[in-house]
Amino acid sequence: MIRRWRTAVGLLLTAVMLFPVYWMVNVSLTPAGRMRKSPPDWFPASPTFEGYERVLHEQLPYFATSLFVALGTVALTLALAAPSAYALAKLRPRGHRALGFVLLVAQMIPGIIMALGFYGIYVALGITNTAWGLILADSTIAVPFAVLILTSFMASVPDELVQAATIDGAGVVRAFWSVVLPASRNGVVTAGLFSFLWAWSDFVFAATLDGGGSMRPLTLGIYRYIGNNNQEWNSIMATAVVASVPAAVLLVLAQRFVAAGVTAGAVKD
Amino acid sequence: MLDTREPVTARPAARAPGRAGWRRKQQLLAWAFLLPLVAYLVLCYGYPLVTNVDLSLRNYTVRTFVHGGAPLVWFDNYAGVFTDPTFRTALLNTLVFTAASLLFQYGIGLAMAVFFARHFRLGPTLRALFLVPWLLPLIVSGSTWAWLLNSESGVVNSVLGWFGAGRIDWLTSPSWSLVSVIIANIWIGVPFNLVVLHSGLQNIPAEVYEAASLDGAGAWQRFRHVTFPLLRGVSAITLLLGLVYTLKVFDVIWIMTKGGPGGSSTTLATWSYQLGFGSMLPRFGPSAAVGNVLILLAVVAGLLYIRAQRRQEEA
Amino acid sequence: MKRHPLIRLLSVAVAATTLAACSSGGAPTAAGGTFTVWDPYPQFDATSAWAKVVDKCGADAGVKITRQAFDTTDLTNKVLLAAQQNTAPNVLVVDNPVVSTLAEGGVLKSNADTGLDAAQVAPNLLAAADVKGQVYGVPIGANTLALYYNKAVLTAAGVDPASVKDWASLDAALAKVHTAGKKGITFSAIGTEEGSFQFLPWFWGSGANLTDLGSADAVAALAQWKSWLDKGYAPNSVIGNTQTTSWQEFATGEYAFAENGTWQLQKAKTAGFDYGVLAIPARTGGAAPAPTGGEFVTVPAQSSPDAEKTAGKIASCLTSPANVGDSDTALTYVSAVPSVQEKQVAAQPELKVWVDAVKVAKGRTGDNLGTRYPRISEPLWGAVQAALTGAKAPDAALAAAQATAASAK
Repeated sequence: MIRRWRTAVGLLLTAVMLFPVYWMVNVSLTPAGRMRKSPPDWFPASPTFEGYERVLHEQLPYFATSLFVALGTVALTLALAAPSAYALAKLRPRGHRALGFVLLVAQMIPGIIMALGFYGIYVALGITNTAWGLILADSTIAVPFAVLILTSFMASVPDELVQAATIDGAGVVRAFWSVVLPASRNGVVTAGLFSFLWAWSDFVFAATLDGGGSMRPLTLGIYRYIGNNNQEWNSIMATAVVASVPAAVLLVLAQRFVAAGVTAGAVKD
Repeated sequence: MLDTREPVTARPAARAPGRAGWRRKQQLLAWAFLLPLVAYLVLCYGYPLVTNVDLSLRNYTVRTFVHGGAPLVWFDNYAGVFTDPTFRTALLNTLVFTAASLLFQYGIGLAMAVFFARHFRLGPTLRALFLVPWLLPLIVSGSTWAWLLNSESGVVNSVLGWFGAGRIDWLTSPSWSLVSVIIANIWIGVPFNLVVLHSGLQNIPAEVYEAASLDGAGAWQRFRHVTFPLLRGVSAITLLLGLVYTLKVFDVIWIMTKGGPGGSSTTLATWSYQLGFGSMLPRFGPSAAVGNVLILLAVVAGLLYIRAQRRQEEA
Repeated sequence: MKRHPLIRLLSVAVAATTLAACSSGGAPTAAGGTFTVWDPYPQFDATSAWAKVVDKCGADAGVKITRQAFDTTDLTNKVLLAAQQNTAPNVLVVDNPVVSTLAEGGVLKSNADTGLDAAQVAPNLLAAADVKGQVYGVPIGANTLALYYNKAVLTAAGVDPASVKDWASLDAALAKVHTAGKKGITFSAIGTEEGSFQFLPWFWGSGANLTDLGSADAVAALAQWKSWLDKGYAPNSVIGNTQTTSWQEFATGEYAFAENGTWQLQKAKTAGFDYGVLAIPARTGGAAPAPTGGEFVTVPAQSSPDAEKTAGKIASCLTSPANVGDSDTALTYVSAVPSVQEKQVAAQPELKVWVDAVKVAKGRTGDNLGTRYPRISEPLWGAVQAALTGAKAPDAALAAAQATAASAK
């Protein structure tokens, strides 16, 4: 009985939270003449699928690029962050506190300043307008946070576990790969999740560094519908809807993955 | 995570000879692990930061920006920024925006995290759906909120009308514009708090709760005296990161109100953008100066956090 | 272990999406013989008429064209950044008020250097690109503002559109519409250049001048806008409206008038109601001078004079009377060349109102304002916002704006 009550409340809370997303879907189906109707239509009264047609014809390459860039960012971020977090959490070298502070400061730099700084380097290196360049840039959004969160997860892996491995003859690297990393799986998935989300929705880096590339993410694809004097709102919203559905599925799967391993230590009813 | 415990692989007091050499080897190995990160930090963050400081110390015109040769004016840009009347407004708005956003994002995020901590049907799925706002490009979320809060055709005013309340000019009135962007920002920030706090809650072992229940503690008391104190570390880092991210927020405000009307929702971040890119004649020097002031504010907050951490460890 | 399936899933996903993404087309990699064209028309993709004209002009000049489209508010910054790194495009199509800024910054080459011929263009449309006697570029077309009206709403309120000739008659018409239960007028007063753009026909129509924002004429214009809001003739949302949002309000069919531009003509036809267009009235009668919109085709400075000459050829081709008609039709602009304007009116008689409006239109950076214009426009839209939100009275707001504009560098 209590569980069903919780599910009902959960559904209500989620509905409230996602109401703006519902509105986005509503707008995507609204024909131009009814968009600024006062009072507004709660349901699309005479829906138009014109926005979705345009999206399906035009946006798929952008969507594929977004997926590629986001997954690439996850890979690069974890590759950089996991070993560093291990060193900070378990090996704790001198100067680790200073490094922690630098990681904090790194996140304080506004994106536009980063993008402008990168532009010169990217032109010099010839990596403007490439997806790989964008992956590198997007990783700068996620790496400091990933290091911080992974450090905190790895620090909570019991020292006895690591010492047991060391006694068995495992070196530092082995201890990292076979003991600490698997034990902090929650942290890895969380860090990966945030990297994905930040890279997926990034616009500043995409616009500055990949504005003219042949592989452009959907945050730029949306600008197809923002002309010099005009904006096609149902196409813009339709793009967001179509792009969010598969990514939302990925999110749900990832969360299940996290929840699956967490039975020991779960809070009891 | 920033603590003073000994490296985990060290051995206690009675040591065999050669232990010091082994310890040094550990240190070297640790820094070997960290080398890619350090190089990455210097190149990817150090360089833009230095470029931005340089931008703020020079007087740029369009011609000198393109062709080079902008003269060093040291702190003239900063003086100009501090004496500009917009600075006071922007600073005040930034503080209000950040404080209000953090308070509600954290509070709601914590409540949601506690709610989702218990297992119930559809729990994980719903929790994942809470992250959907983060999938949306900010132009879409910002525009959607602008739609919802439109004075004439927005659904929020329409609902208020059912209850007999008057029309509120959410985005076009100087009294309400800051509130509107705060609301949108809270909405965007809750998922982050939810995920991190939820992970933190998962790390609290069940035995602790059992012990508390055995002592006769009720749900609220368990939360206040057991859960919340154990969450302190995670809460602190969530709030600090929330602060850093909120200080940088610009897209949502720009899309909803462009920092107006009349500067009523201008924060340091939007002001920096406005100076550099928001008009047809960019002023890169002052824009970079405001950006650096913003970073400085965040650094101060970071230092305060470290000081609080250290004091907590010594206690 | 459970971690591995995730990695496997990730690698498969990465591989699959690489294949999919790479199929979205490749960029030409040839170094010499490829020219870049940047324009603010992201709504035109590779299959559009505009893109085809660009390719054709490139072929005529013997080069291959790579075209990049940007959001117009972004384009200036992109150009400045690119120019700094010596990666500026070969041909740049850019909004007219920005041309003088780029020219003074040394980013653009003058027509004398590139061989662009602007002789056939109407002088009032060319003024925006005139910097110290040198002209930098040729307009692709012109657009301007006028008043669209909803015939049904006006008829129901008993208003004859032909009677709207000055501000007094416009106010009277709005009052009648308001009494009949419909909404009066919508426009854009947003705190960006769009807001200034929309305010200028009333500002100039009142007799005011951009060199003195605090004059009595200017105050009269702002007071009129404020009175519309106070009386309920215009909605509060105008303070945040872009021109697109304002058009959407008009498209609901509830409004009598909408101040909007030539580019909405296509949308007007599909609006679902009978519409008309009349010139924005000046205070005491006649058509108010409206600001010129529309982009210029310009040639940025390049590595060699030969490249500049070739770029000049491409630009000439894009703006030649033979080719420009198609582009202007696609953009729903009025041509900047009087002879082509006549052809346009002959083909579409409803364009006559717009052609007449363009003939009396003024460049915002004209009157030798050049790069001073942005420093005037920003306080102006600030004053409009302050007055419309009630934060300041119109005269106080404009006086403050004039003080800022006068002291700005």
